[in-house]
Amino acid sequence: MKSLLIPHAYKKIGWILLVPSIVAGLFFMFVTELPFSPKIWTFGYFGQEFLSQPKSPIRLDKIELIPNLISVLLLIGGLLVMFSKEKKEDEYINQIRLNSLQNSVFFNYILLFFCIVFIHGIPFFHVMIYNLFTIILIYILRFHFLIYKNATNE
Amino acid sequence: MNNKIKVERAVNNLTQEQLAEKVSVTRQTINAIELKKFVPSTVLAMKICKVFNKTIEDVFSLEEND
Repeated sequence: MKSLLIPHAYKKIGWILLVPSIVAGLFFMFVTELPFSPKIWTFGYFGQEFLSQPKSPIRLDKIELIPNLISVLLLIGGLLVMFSKEKKEDEYINQIRLNSLQNSVFFNYILLFFCIVFIHGIPFFHVMIYNLFTIILIYILRFHFLIYKNATNE
Repeated sequence: MNNKIKVERAVNNLTQEQLAEKVSVTRQTINAIELKKFVPSTVLAMKICKVFNKTIEDVFSLEEND
């Protein structure tokens, strides 16, 4: 079976992208009014006209640079950390990966369940945004916790 | 699944690290197998037995609830 894992060297790059993006993401959770908010043009499909009829299937949209950049860096960093091999990858590490993936998917949807039940209206859009990253983040936390526990608990 | 890896290591005078190196896994994997936290694949079990020059049944045995 072909593995999706990439070489261990990418893990460092992943951490370098992931940690600052999480810090920046948390910062922008609380600071909504920025002194500057640069915008860039990008290709868009639905964009702002989601609820009305888009004039053309593909067109240019002007989007906020900072939140989108943070999201993209968080995703790239998270995926690099998640899918890069350990220094010595073996079948036990593979089992820990599977366990972490099961846990992250399970807890992600449990969390989503409670959010659907208890959070309504506009705040629920925030839940939808955070929910984009929870599987990756829970996986990374769980995987590294198990690796650490296994290395220290003899 | 029960195993006698710890005993066989002692007989063969091997550390976990040395055995791990011989079968190309981490020391933590050997430790997890010895503590019965992880059941190795057939390939890894056979590699371990080969190091000890024993058969699978000599090193591994089923538990009642397996």
